[in-house]
Amino acid sequence: MIESRGVATVIIGLVRPHMERTQPPRGLWVPFPLGRPLGEPADAGFQRRVLQAALDLLERRDGPVILEDFPDDSPSMADRGAWRPEFVLPPRPATLLETADEWIPALEAEMQSLIPAWEGAKRNSGRTMVGNSRLAQPDWLPYAAEFLRGNVPDSTVEGMSSAVLLRYVADDIKALYYEAAQAVAPYPTSRQMENWFWYETLASDFLRALRATAIESEHKGFNVACSRFVVPLPFVERR
Amino acid sequence: MARANDIPQPTRDHILALECPAFPDTPWVAAKPLRECRVAILTTAALHQKSEASFPTGTAEYRQLPATLTDPAISHISINFDRSGMQRDINVAFPIDRLRELAADGVVGNVADTHYSTMGSTDPMLMSETADSIVAHLKAQQVDALLLVPV
Repeated sequence: MIESRGVATVIIGLVRPHMERTQPPRGLWVPFPLGRPLGEPADAGFQRRVLQAALDLLERRDGPVILEDFPDDSPSMADRGAWRPEFVLPPRPATLLETADEWIPALEAEMQSLIPAWEGAKRNSGRTMVGNSRLAQPDWLPYAAEFLRGNVPDSTVEGMSSAVLLRYVADDIKALYYEAAQAVAPYPTSRQMENWFWYETLASDFLRALRATAIESEHKGFNVACSRFVVPLPFVERR
Repeated sequence: MARANDIPQPTRDHILALECPAFPDTPWVAAKPLRECRVAILTTAALHQKSEASFPTGTAEYRQLPATLTDPAISHISINFDRSGMQRDINVAFPIDRLRELAADGVVGNVADTHYSTMGSTDPMLMSETADSIVAHLKAQQVDALLLVPV
């Protein structure tokens, strides 16, 4: 759509069948996890090889259509030993908690156990992706837990509906855990990161409980936002 | 990867079944030699400055990103792609530092002052005006080539 308007383009694509169907003028397919088109975080050498391979297609004169495959897997793909985050979470209850009054203190305790690591990560990188909800961390759980009580609380953030605010609180919870878990080396692969969050944290149980409540809810916004855009489908079952 | 077998089910089937537009033509603009090209980046990660409003659901809008993104946020609605890589190093999806290095080494002409972000889950066929606007901006900024980086 850009090229037809007169500007040369090159695309780094992750899903080869999509590239085959859409036929972009110049494409480099890369065999990396969705969300990581340059392959490996904080590996400038590897990223540079990918970028150079893509930009080199601009020099080619044999298109359209050019579709090349990047030859190497990313180090992100192969799990690196038995990765654990540097902090230890409080023991996770064997069975799901039931009431909002049980969830809030238990989950707040889990969050407090990793907040020092998150603050370290934020200090080192000078930034954080936490903040989509615009709520301060102590306000996340009281807001989200209201939904477990069967209520749909009013949004306290201008320009966000109740359901959108809940989705962004869920984004913030996930970002807090992911950034804390990656505060120091050794770093997890994307798969290790997901498996740890979705199968070992009370926060993931909480998000699953919100999803289960949303599926039963007649409030359309809460139902759609939280049944589809909080827990990825591969992780809807607790382990 | 995104080799199909590496995407966990049922996300894999969902992604592979996504309808992609079949464009009627295959356009081609001959690019300048790379060492003379002014290059900009477009990411579909719904990346923006945290001080800006989030991307609304289903939006065809785009955002301009400064070459120095001090306080990034990702407000993409999809939860089917990895965000942890970007949380640790934004270059894994928005390779601005790598592009700057290639420009410093003379491989690329230079780096545009402004880059672009969209929400990749929006139907491309709804984004015709968005493409018009981005291209007008690219031309005004004398950009020769756009690197498209979907997530």
